[in-house]
Amino acid sequence: MAATEAQTVVQDDQAVPVRHPASGSGATWPIFEVFRQERAGQPMQHAGNLTAPDADMAELYAREFYGRRNESIRIWVVPRATVREIVDADLLHPPAVDRSYRIVQGYTVRDKLDQARAHGEEHIPGTPGRKARPPAGPKTAMEIPDDV
Amino acid sequence: MEDADRVAEFTAYVQNGGKVEAGDWLPDEYRLQVLRFVEMHANSELMGVLPEREWINRAPTLKRKLALTAKVQDEVGHAELLYRVAEDLGKSREAMLADLLAGKTKFHNVFHYPTYSWGDVAIIAWLVDAAAIQSQKALLDCSYEPYARTMKKICWEESFHIKHGYDCVVTLASGTEQQRTILQDALNRWWTPLVHFHGPPTDPAKDRDLYWRIKAKANSVLRDEFLDRYVPKILELGLTIPDPTLHFNEESGHWEYAPPDWSQLKAVVTGHGPRSAERLTLRRLSYADTEWVREVVLAGRLAA
Amino acid sequence: MFKNPPPPDPQIEVPHFSSVTTATADAVLEAERRGVQPVPHEPAFDVQPTLDLPAPGPAPAMPAWLTALDAAAATDVEQALNGLLLALADDEFILGYRNSEWTGIAPMLEEDVAFSSMSQDEIGHARLFYSLLGARIGVDMDQVAYGRPPAGFRNAQFLEMPRTNWAFTLARQYLYDQYDQLRLAALAHSQWAPLAEVIGKIQREEKYHAMHGTTWMHRLAENTPDARARLEAALPGAWSAALGLFEPLPGEALLIQAGYLLGTAAELQAAWLDRVGSFLRELGLAVPPPVTGARGGRQGQHSADFAALWDELTIVYRIDPGAKW
Repeated sequence: MAATEAQTVVQDDQAVPVRHPASGSGATWPIFEVFRQERAGQPMQHAGNLTAPDADMAELYAREFYGRRNESIRIWVVPRATVREIVDADLLHPPAVDRSYRIVQGYTVRDKLDQARAHGEEHIPGTPGRKARPPAGPKTAMEIPDDV
Repeated sequence: MEDADRVAEFTAYVQNGGKVEAGDWLPDEYRLQVLRFVEMHANSELMGVLPEREWINRAPTLKRKLALTAKVQDEVGHAELLYRVAEDLGKSREAMLADLLAGKTKFHNVFHYPTYSWGDVAIIAWLVDAAAIQSQKALLDCSYEPYARTMKKICWEESFHIKHGYDCVVTLASGTEQQRTILQDALNRWWTPLVHFHGPPTDPAKDRDLYWRIKAKANSVLRDEFLDRYVPKILELGLTIPDPTLHFNEESGHWEYAPPDWSQLKAVVTGHGPRSAERLTLRRLSYADTEWVREVVLAGRLAA
Repeated sequence: MFKNPPPPDPQIEVPHFSSVTTATADAVLEAERRGVQPVPHEPAFDVQPTLDLPAPGPAPAMPAWLTALDAAAATDVEQALNGLLLALADDEFILGYRNSEWTGIAPMLEEDVAFSSMSQDEIGHARLFYSLLGARIGVDMDQVAYGRPPAGFRNAQFLEMPRTNWAFTLARQYLYDQYDQLRLAALAHSQWAPLAEVIGKIQREEKYHAMHGTTWMHRLAENTPDARARLEAALPGAWSAALGLFEPLPGEALLIQAGYLLGTAAELQAAWLDRVGSFLRELGLAVPPPVTGARGGRQGQHSADFAALWDELTIVYRIDPGAKW
């Protein structure tokens, strides 16, 4: 995770410097992030994190904390220090430049389609018929639309 | 000096259901409030282990022994997860444990009370865990995401605890006269701590945990939800609840009960409960007893 | 002062329990050395039982199935097999019992969770063996486990020793796991199929235990002089008691002949001495002499520590041995 500005916490009426998660926060030992896969075919999902003196113990503990109930079929253990985080809104959702040409939401044919259809038949065999359907918004960021 | 506008923006964001992560900019007060809340929760899981672990050795069947060991293990695991969340907010686990052992920070009331029989084990595993899960479900929507995610895992693991607890209770309730006696005795003693569990009514306008959307429901609401759900289940087993004023109010749709003595709760959480000293002492001495082990592990890491 | 609780009834006896609610004597000493004090006891009120609680009954007599087993094991291979199952179960049960005493107060939270998994494995293995035995003699597995006086237990005395401290606990873990690996290997191809079947499952779980044990032995021996000293102090007692694991069971020759067991206790001991001896030497630790300490566990002879353990183990059960819990 990228380092951000130094921060302080008020504790016992004193300002105490807070160590950012990237530097290990308040932890004595290195932090390891744990990812797990619940069923075959599913993506690896972030499950949480733990501290351990070294990578071997991290593996042992990851199995305990994220696998002792048979809830995972695969586990990744990754030192937090090696994780690079991108969270900058300017990079991920750039406001200024129109890049809608390369996403599904950048294309609406509805009005043009109505005009074009005026030239065609009302009833085409093998189809349920033309019904006006309001375009549904995407439910998730990566949803695949029905008509593709 | 914090930018007042930035704080205002943040406040509006979380009050409207916005979520934040560990590495985000957080106002000092928010950070401290979440830290305190999570720290107390972690402390409670760690101290909660003590009344229950007493009975692992005494469990009367192999299955109960295993279940109780697994339950206590989960609670230790929860303590670990929660200390981890608090640590990322800037306080080391060592500092949190030191404060707990020094009596500077608090842990939940129920863990200051004695246990006298297997009846206690059953009542704790059923009703104390049920009271806890009411609170925990209400935390699933916490504005601080790492805590909310941890609560999801904790709730999932706790669901077996309640099933196990209820199984123990119903087995006793359907058993011999002696078994029903130990169950009733346990209920007689645990009723008050259970009614205290969710805390005294607070003024929502002054509740900082509600303000920052750390928790979503007021204490009284949680208590009413818990009692409404569980009083019928207790009564249907033919157990007597030791509150002669307890009755169902048809109009409000809630169970009404004798107003709890909140000064007793205060005495307990400030370390003057029947077993507060004994349990904290066990923690203190065990922690000191194993200090050399932590030094060993740390030495290995530094040498690596 | 408070509306609740009701005033204590002087007629109602308050149960007193042992060990686990307070720190061990070793812990108290260690804490003193570090200048750590107990918390002053200043309760604002107390809570006592509100009803007369049933007291536990006396020790049961030796059950008929066990008397029959003891009478015939030396000459009847099927009773010898029952005796083997009982020893296997009791070893795992009593060790699991001792190890579960660390749950909640282990040196680190992560280690607490890991070690607790291991003690659940051990009790789980015990349960498997008790149920195999129970099926053969027509007795419920909980009755097999709980319905005996102390003399009915056939674990090695090594396993009933108190957990003492982390060095002793891990030394015991290591020494026992090495023994268990050899013993399981000698049973993996047992001619008694139900046993051979469960052994495979158990061996897979034991892999994790062995890894944990050797990691800790390395850590204790190599990381700090203080830890090494504690390990060196724990080893001689642990070692000599561990040799009690190798007491031969009655009817061992019959079990070998029938192919139920594929290695004598003497063979296991030789292999164990070799393996554990070289590991200790590798760590630069002194190998204690092969003098057996606490013997007799396999014959049902146990220590004062076991009497206390048994008392607590059965304290709820003995309220009503016929009840369902």
